[in-house]
Amino acid sequence: MADVVRVVATDDPVRALFSPAGELTAEARSRLGLDAAALRELYRNMVLIRRADQEALNLQRQGELGLWGQYLGQEAIHVGAMTALRTDDWVFPSYREFGMAMVRGVDPADMLTLFRGLSHGPWDPHKYHFAPLAIPVATQVPHAVGFAMGCRLKRSEEVVLSTFGDGATSEGDWHEAMNFAGVFKAPVVFLCQNNYWAISVPLSKQTAGSIADRAHGYGFPGIRIDGNDVLGVFAAVRAAAARARQGDGPYLIEAVTYRMGAHTSSDDPTRYRLDSELQAWNARDPIARYRGWLEQQGIIDDGVVAAIADAAESAAQAMRARLISLPAPPAGEAIFGRVYSNPPASFLQEREEFEASLEGD
Amino acid sequence: MSEPVTMAKAINLSLRDALTRDENVLIFGEDVGALGGVFRITDGLQKAFGEERVFDTPLAESTIIGVAVGLALRGFRPVPEIQFDGFIYPAFEQIVSHVAKYRNRSGISLPITIRVPFGGNIGAVEHHSESPEAYFAHTAGLKVVTPSTPGDAYALLQAAIDDPDPVIFFEPKARYYLKEEIDPTARVPLGKARVAHEGSSVSVIAYGPTVSIALQAAKTAAAEQISIEVIDLRSLSPLDMDTVMASVRKTHRAVVVHEAPVFCGFGAEVAARISHDGFDLLEAPVTRVGGLNVPYPPARYEKLYLPDADRILQAADAVLAYG
Amino acid sequence: MADQTFRLPDLGEGLTEAQLVAWRVEEGARVEVNAPLCDVETAKAVVVIPSPWAGTIQKLHARPGESVAVGEALVTIAAAEGAPAEATPGTLVGYGPGAPESGIRRRARMPVATAETSIDVRAAPFVRQLAKDKGVDLAQVAGTGPGGRITRSDVEAAAATPATTAAATVPSNGGERRISVVGIRKAIARQMVRSVSTIPQFTEFAVFDATNLMAAREKRKASGRPMTPLPYFIEALVKAVRAYPMMNSSWDDARDEIVVKEPIHLGIAVNTSQGLLVPVLRDASTLDLDAIAAQSAQLIEGARAGTLPASQMSGGTITITNVGASGPVETGTPIINPPECCVVAFGAIKPRPMVVDGQVVARSGAWISISVDHRIVDGAMATEFLTALVAELEKISA
Repeated sequence: MADVVRVVATDDPVRALFSPAGELTAEARSRLGLDAAALRELYRNMVLIRRADQEALNLQRQGELGLWGQYLGQEAIHVGAMTALRTDDWVFPSYREFGMAMVRGVDPADMLTLFRGLSHGPWDPHKYHFAPLAIPVATQVPHAVGFAMGCRLKRSEEVVLSTFGDGATSEGDWHEAMNFAGVFKAPVVFLCQNNYWAISVPLSKQTAGSIADRAHGYGFPGIRIDGNDVLGVFAAVRAAAARARQGDGPYLIEAVTYRMGAHTSSDDPTRYRLDSELQAWNARDPIARYRGWLEQQGIIDDGVVAAIADAAESAAQAMRARLISLPAPPAGEAIFGRVYSNPPASFLQEREEFEASLEGD
Repeated sequence: MSEPVTMAKAINLSLRDALTRDENVLIFGEDVGALGGVFRITDGLQKAFGEERVFDTPLAESTIIGVAVGLALRGFRPVPEIQFDGFIYPAFEQIVSHVAKYRNRSGISLPITIRVPFGGNIGAVEHHSESPEAYFAHTAGLKVVTPSTPGDAYALLQAAIDDPDPVIFFEPKARYYLKEEIDPTARVPLGKARVAHEGSSVSVIAYGPTVSIALQAAKTAAAEQISIEVIDLRSLSPLDMDTVMASVRKTHRAVVVHEAPVFCGFGAEVAARISHDGFDLLEAPVTRVGGLNVPYPPARYEKLYLPDADRILQAADAVLAYG
Repeated sequence: MADQTFRLPDLGEGLTEAQLVAWRVEEGARVEVNAPLCDVETAKAVVVIPSPWAGTIQKLHARPGESVAVGEALVTIAAAEGAPAEATPGTLVGYGPGAPESGIRRRARMPVATAETSIDVRAAPFVRQLAKDKGVDLAQVAGTGPGGRITRSDVEAAAATPATTAAATVPSNGGERRISVVGIRKAIARQMVRSVSTIPQFTEFAVFDATNLMAAREKRKASGRPMTPLPYFIEALVKAVRAYPMMNSSWDDARDEIVVKEPIHLGIAVNTSQGLLVPVLRDASTLDLDAIAAQSAQLIEGARAGTLPASQMSGGTITITNVGASGPVETGTPIINPPECCVVAFGAIKPRPMVVDGQVVARSGAWISISVDHRIVDGAMATEFLTALVAELEKISA
């Protein structure tokens, strides 16, 4: 059956692109306006960030990182969303958006120093328009809304992407922030990476309703889409961002995907979920699917695929080598250096005493 | 110098001047717009500066502070208001996990000033008379200040808003209607205590609402030939130990006063520092006067809970009795 | 081809060990970076450990089923030709037993003051510092504060008044004369006030038969080595105290504890031109009669001459006073020298009627009175002690 183009509200340019099941329509797919190079770039980025993810897990198992949270299986959302935004659009991530930061240009080895216990925030958010990772769940969502409110007050054009997981939608901050966004018509795109699992708690125990539909309660549209289709995510985020950019306010995209890996390197998913579920989602792997489509379209071939795989391998090796060679900042600077703009005298004294107590620096 | 103004008016003038001076200053919170706040502190500001500069928010303390973080990242100087001390707790996570730590995490300063009416003695219902300052003074990355006079309220708020880092500005709501002439050109830096009353026998260290009580005690004591020196901390973090120790060096005796429960209250920090930095100066143990270790009582009993001049005098007697 | 040993990392935020489940490589095998080495089971999960280096497996350090502690050797790998030895062998990242990346904090050694601390002196830190600055020995200062606490003005008064300063007399006015109380008089006053205001004390009396004591004195006199009764009193007192150590103690008000003193430092009350002084005969229980005689004579002489250093006038644990040295006084009710527990007064030895074998006879005798701290000692023990003291005195052999 052909996709049905439904009559939608004029202020919902996203829904028109998707089937009721949340699949990007063939027509919309054909009108994305991406040339072959751009389409290949999407694939390349997904492969790069997946390989980096695997390397980070290896580094954790080898004792080089204290912790790692894989985003395996969620690459279509990371790459699709980031490609859909302008580089001056701000992103407010939670803690699993390493791939998004890579696409934004943050050096992956620098980023890993966070998991190596050397820094709480190894990049300059203003340089990359990429906020620090937010570890307490959903607490970053109000920041994104505040930033977007500020963009509106400044009459500037940038929009904000606020991303979070399905678990975050249970938090008070999430609801409060959604409400604020609606009230203040903030130019923010909410992107829920619904990966079905909040550590060990499945979606069915997280919510009895629809995440996407909640947007209506806050006075703006929402949609549930296939989060394993990089072009679908790209199209939805681009359309929602454009809508926000022209002053029509927030939009909620619930991108359905699956956390193929463990919650973090400390987790053991075999304790709470079935392998059969994993196998089913494996069949919908976002990279394999997209590669199949690209091959079908004649945009890539085995040679390109191999070349990209090699590039990802070299990038991973380079990331490993650079991470291991990165020196640890001096303790005094690492611990005291960024707390205050103008540190009080008592604070400086404590730092001085601390530094004087160090031995073998 | 001009007509005497209340502390409420002084804060209003300070906000007005900040809004005038810097277009990035934004004021928002619950009922701060058309109403002018439940204490009328923001009275007339929305009318004067428009709904984009001074605006009401939905009832959501956590996100009031959360959006302040985002607005500060976007280049604003947000001055959010938390309506009452007892309503700040939903925002605790945003304040402690983000407002305080954002700079340490990212290198980006957040020039946010969170205004909070605090303290008791107004005959209010539960959650309207609390003194939560120690929670915040305990958190590195935050500055915590509280004025005790209209003049200090004006000047300290200017300094707080101008500061590149976040400041929690506790307003002693029982002193909102205290009147004095103010000098809008006077500067009060954060982290600087003042000697509110000179004396030589006992140092009484107070802040916010307890300063005027300490002054009353000093007056009564003077009639009994006991010379009390009153120190108004003004800033809990950073804490001006230089001024405190200069006083203790003179008196050799210290009493610390606040409305919050004594147990783990801010006075514990002051007492510990005096005892450590001035061990050889002390002729008596540092003594604390404050609230009981109970939830804030119903209003009919609050006078029994709150420190008053008599309890300060009793503590002064006790430290003087050491000889 | 350097060998590198890979140690078990903390695989999950604070784990301390893992059990080796299975090796996926054998000794002698070549591995690439990230090749699976083994499966291990931690308290949290079973995980695969990938090789951190390329090279040849030299040694597997654990067998399946064995537990390996975090930080223990897991596998030794000979690095492949040209492979950079860049990894961080032995150093686990920022947790577990891993060393910090840079300096560690160590206890800074500083000279520890071994100043003698006296639990007997109650004074605030400022007062102690003031006393130190002014060279005032707090043990010699009687506190006028609550609980006998030494106050700032006590120290200032002690500092302002050298021991030799005479009391100044203010001109008489209207039939009364005011004498400014300074120096030793003031110290005595404070010490006595402290005693009666802080120590609940009671006094017991006894008369002892000094026949043997006088015989012993006669014998010494005959041999050209005369001796006053005092050394005999001291020797008997020391013996009695050793049998009743509670008499040689003090009450610690701050902690509600009785502090029993091992050494017996005997204060000897001496009347001097400046007032009553109490030089201390240290470690009296280690001295024989001759040494007691020699040292006590020296102390008394020094006290009267005003030449004794402060150190010889402090630290007493019990006091003896001789109320019978002159005049018709038989005995008295001595006041305890705080913080001691006991003071013993001896009266004059003179002939007095005594009943011996049912007959009244004249024999040499003297009164003894003891005052004791009732917080420490009850009447029964005081009586036993006094009985023992009398027995010691009466069994002196010539």
